[in-house]
This record gives sequence, structure tokens and C-alpha cells, in this order.
Amino acid sequence: MSICVTRTGEAAAVPVLSALQHDALAEIFNIGVGQAASALSDIVGDEVTMSVPSIRLLDRAGAGALLANNQARVCGVRQQYDGGFRAEAIVMFDEDKSLDIVRLMVGDAVPFEELTEMEQEAMGEIGNIVLNSCVGTLADLFEQELRGSLPVVQIASGAAILGASTIGIGDGADGDANPIVLMLQIDLALAAHCIHGYIAFLLDMGALGDLRALVDIYLARLA
Amino acid sequence: MPSTKTVLVVDDSRVSRLMARQFILARRCFWHVEEAASGEEAIARVASCVPDLILLDVNMPGMGGLAAAGQLRTLCPGAHISLVTANVQMATRRRAAEMGLGFLAKPMTEARIGALLDALG
Repeated sequence: MSICVTRTGEAAAVPVLSALQHDALAEIFNIGVGQAASALSDIVGDEVTMSVPSIRLLDRAGAGALLANNQARVCGVRQQYDGGFRAEAIVMFDEDKSLDIVRLMVGDAVPFEELTEMEQEAMGEIGNIVLNSCVGTLADLFEQELRGSLPVVQIASGAAILGASTIGIGDGADGDANPIVLMLQIDLALAAHCIHGYIAFLLDMGALGDLRALVDIYLARLA
Repeated sequence: MPSTKTVLVVDDSRVSRLMARQFILARRCFWHVEEAASGEEAIARVASCVPDLILLDVNMPGMGGLAAAGQLRTLCPGAHISLVTANVQMATRRRAAEMGLGFLAKPMTEARIGALLDALG
């Protein structure tokens, strides 16, 4: 894994995280998403596999370009967190599979019409469970409390959902409308059902400083 | 005749209430399940029903589960109150323990709900 900044087509190395901080953050995030995958596995009753996490600095609008098939419509659930650091967490699933996921969660007891009617609300709850499993683990590893907003469900392309994040807006000295954010991304897959999902965390540069300080405290505890 | 108890499920997610009802009735088909979608609604509901068990989500619009738990504890002194939440942080678990509340991590499964019901007898 490497850190790079991608902004308006230009790439440049920015020494934001040391190699050790980067490694620790990737591992902490990996543990958090592991808990999220476990929660998702409990929801759908099937194995969930995870990719290696990637950590990148890039502009907010460019974050969506990282997703494979980023113009396909997805069902995204976003929650904002604050406390030890401020971040937005987003989980996305292919839109045409969201009803399958809801069906796997509630079983056959609910009539199809009722299930369709509650699909978005149910996806909000699934997103809430998955994201909080991850965030809860991060909070505990950092010995911090993170307070989350209520989940918001959005159906759009992955690029549009990531581009719609308000993280970082207005934090720049020049009122930057497209600020640099840290994107932590991991892919989830339910192979037996051909379902793919993504979890992304977006942090602005101020929050990145807070997060870096927490990583240092975490590393100091290990020493 | 098996004993009948009343469970109040408090969750802003309709699908979570539906699942809780389904899992409870699968294990205790004679029990009665009431629902509320917010802390405020739960407090209003206990004026007309006396729950033996209250399952309480934490993160809800309006009054959250932890705030509601304090009032429900006073209004329903005989009820066992358990948080059922996606907020699995140690801080939330610690707060639940300090308030004498049970803690059940979401996702709800029949096994987890069943274990809670078994513990209540």
C-alpha cells in the first residue's frame, strides 16, 4: 500500500503519515472492517470476504473514481461521526442487490410487497449495523468514544455518493469546494450471492491530524 | 398453559421491530409484543401496558435509548431493560452496565434474542 495525493490529475507525495503510522492505520481499519464483515455475515447468514484496505489522499470529487464500476448505481448509507476525530463513513452495495440483502436479513416471513416497500429503510438499518460495527471497533482500539449521526440512505452512482460528501468543505483557508480528504477503502463480497459492497471513510485534513495523534498513542501503548 | 409476558420493542427501524417480533414469537409464541418507534412513544406506551422486558435501541430520532431507559426504569420498575444496538463501543456497554441495563449487539439474530429470553426464564 502507498499513500498518494491525486488532485486534478496531478499526483504528488505528501508526507502525511509515516510508514509505521500508515501500517498501523491500515491494520486498525482492517480490524474494524473485519468486525463489520462479521456483522454483515450474521445479517445474511453467509461468509463475507474482504479486500486489503487501501488508504489514499485525494480530492473529494476524485474519491468516487477509485471505485471499480463507479458509474453503476449503488445503494449507499452514510453516517457522520465525531469525538476523537471527525469522519464520514459510507457503505455501498449494488442497487440491484439491495433487495436480496434485505431478503437475506428478514427471511421469508415478510411478503414480497411489504419487503419492497421497506427496502430503503432496511438498507439504512443494515448500513447502520455494518458501519457501527466498524466504527465501534476503531473507537475501542483508540480508547475514544465516537458519536454517530442517524444513517442516511442514498441511491446514486458510487462516484456521486462519494462526491456528495460534505467532509472537508469550508475547512480550507480559501473556502475549498473540493478539498483533499483521506479515503480508507475496503471491498466486501458475498461470493455465494454475487453481492459486492464498499466501505469508505472520509476525513478532512484537520481530522487527519487528530487521527494521526490517536495512531501515535496506539503505537506508544504497543511499545 | 405457558406463562405469558409482554415485551416492548423500541426501535425507529421498522425492520428491526419486525425481526424482534419474529424472533420473540418463534421462541415464545404465547408472549405479547408491543412496539414503539421512539423513546417518547415508549414512555407513552407504558401508560397502557406493563412490559416485563423492554428492548431499546440507542440511536433514535428525538429521545435516544439511554435517555428513555432512565425514565422507563422509573415507570416500569419490574421490567428488565436491555439495549439492542449497533453502537457496540465500550463506552456504550459501560454506560449500559452503570445503568443496570442489559446489552445486546445488533444484528439481532434468533439465537441472541433466544439467549436473552432464556436468561429471563
